[in-house]
Amino acid sequence: MSFEYRPVPDFGMTLRERLGQYPRVPDLTIDALRTVARWIAVGLIKLQFPTEVRGGLPAGERIALVANHQSHLDSLVVLASLSERRRRDIACLAAKDYFFSRLPLALGGSLFAMAVSFDRTKYTELRHWSRILRDQQHGCLLVFPSGSRRRSEAHDAILFVLAKSGWTIVPVAIAGTAAAWPIGARLPRPFRRIRLTFGAPLSDVATKDLAVALGEFWKANA
Amino acid sequence: MEGLAQPLPAYTALTALGIVLFGAFLRATRLRAGWTPYRTWLVMLPIIFAALWLGAWAWAFLITVLSIYGFKEFARATGLYRERLFVLVVYAAMVAANLAAYFGRFGLFMVVPVWTVGTLTLVPIIRNRTEGMLQGFALSVVGIVYFGWFLAHLTYLAIWTGGLGLVLYVVLATQLNDVVAFLFGKLLGRRHWTVLSPNKTVEGSVGALAFSVAFAFANWPLAFPDLPWWGTLGLGLIVGAGGQIGDLTLANFKRNVGIKDFGNLLPGHGGVLDRLNSLTLVAPVALHFVRFFFDGFP
Repeated sequence: MSFEYRPVPDFGMTLRERLGQYPRVPDLTIDALRTVARWIAVGLIKLQFPTEVRGGLPAGERIALVANHQSHLDSLVVLASLSERRRRDIACLAAKDYFFSRLPLALGGSLFAMAVSFDRTKYTELRHWSRILRDQQHGCLLVFPSGSRRRSEAHDAILFVLAKSGWTIVPVAIAGTAAAWPIGARLPRPFRRIRLTFGAPLSDVATKDLAVALGEFWKANA
Repeated sequence: MEGLAQPLPAYTALTALGIVLFGAFLRATRLRAGWTPYRTWLVMLPIIFAALWLGAWAWAFLITVLSIYGFKEFARATGLYRERLFVLVVYAAMVAANLAAYFGRFGLFMVVPVWTVGTLTLVPIIRNRTEGMLQGFALSVVGIVYFGWFLAHLTYLAIWTGGLGLVLYVVLATQLNDVVAFLFGKLLGRRHWTVLSPNKTVEGSVGALAFSVAFAFANWPLAFPDLPWWGTLGLGLIVGAGGQIGDLTLANFKRNVGIKDFGNLLPGHGGVLDRLNSLTLVAPVALHFVRFFFDGFP
């Protein structure tokens, strides 16, 4: 008689790598911590920042929210505006060289803001994500295609990968977070008004025009 | 309930001195491979001693966390972790075993595995599934007995009158036993003797056994002065032989699963189980040896 041993898929990875992986491998401890941390983060955002939400998410299994990026608050504000089911599923693409460079930052980003690691310094990363997204049958992603809080235009490449993988791209415009937690400020400034606008899915837009269409949406709403 | 007592200051000072001397030895010999595990020891030892200084509750808490984390590594390696209900039952049983030990309920502590196995039989019924359930059940029983209940003996030792010396001796001696077996094997090792861990040599194993006996007698006046000479000899043999048997048992588990280490939490050591491998077996055998022959400490 012999048993068949199949270690969990992320066996052998460091904790930092496990926190940043996508799709996430279920883990009793990390999942429980993530749930509690997410509740705390969402509760604090709702208490401190009055947020107006326009529009909503379409139904669907593979949705990528594509938002402008001005502040560390952006992902938390989007999280706070979603249903608990979506919040549980969502993965926020975060720069590996910034958010996953040290364990405390990785813990904070992954547990409180549902961050997953995206290596913006490697061009092979797009091929890697393209494979992941093609295989993934359901999920919700939050992507900041500008890649940085200091840049306002979207990079084409990640939009191209999302579109070619068959994910529904939903534009999201965030206004007010730049004043609520400006770049360089150590702490957020509470009680600033924030506005969040979910647009219609960009299903009819040609892939090469996605960045332009997004730019226009952000300019009109953010 | 007895608090932890006298030998602690002496052991803390001796361990601090030992770690400084070992650092100097590493520096003098330029053994680069030794620095990573050494740095990990610099983190682990303060945690161990802090728990002992804080009292039996902190020690019980540390043992519970180590058991749960060690079992988690085992479950992740074998794939049992996919069966959440089995895992949760074992976690709960580990907490129960340490609580029973902490409150000194020896009878209850002894039957924790019985109750746990009874509860585990319900899992396939609740899941209404047969596939993989025998394997899940068997691995869970190994988990609660070997990683949970065995290690919880360290909690029971800590609340026992005069048990602190035994705790300190068992913990430090098993760890030193590993180091000595490795050093003897490297320096004098010629004849390999087991397929479970092909690097083990007869010379390394015999050297570690001899060291453990000598170390037991060196600790005698400080850790367990009330034991007769043959009790001290018995403890030395238990640590020397039990530590190596525990090591080989975990090596066997790893070879069956096809992995090198159970985890990577402790740089230079591997996972928590890779560090606790010899302690898991020695702790219960040492406790029952002393309890059976001396009924605790006279």
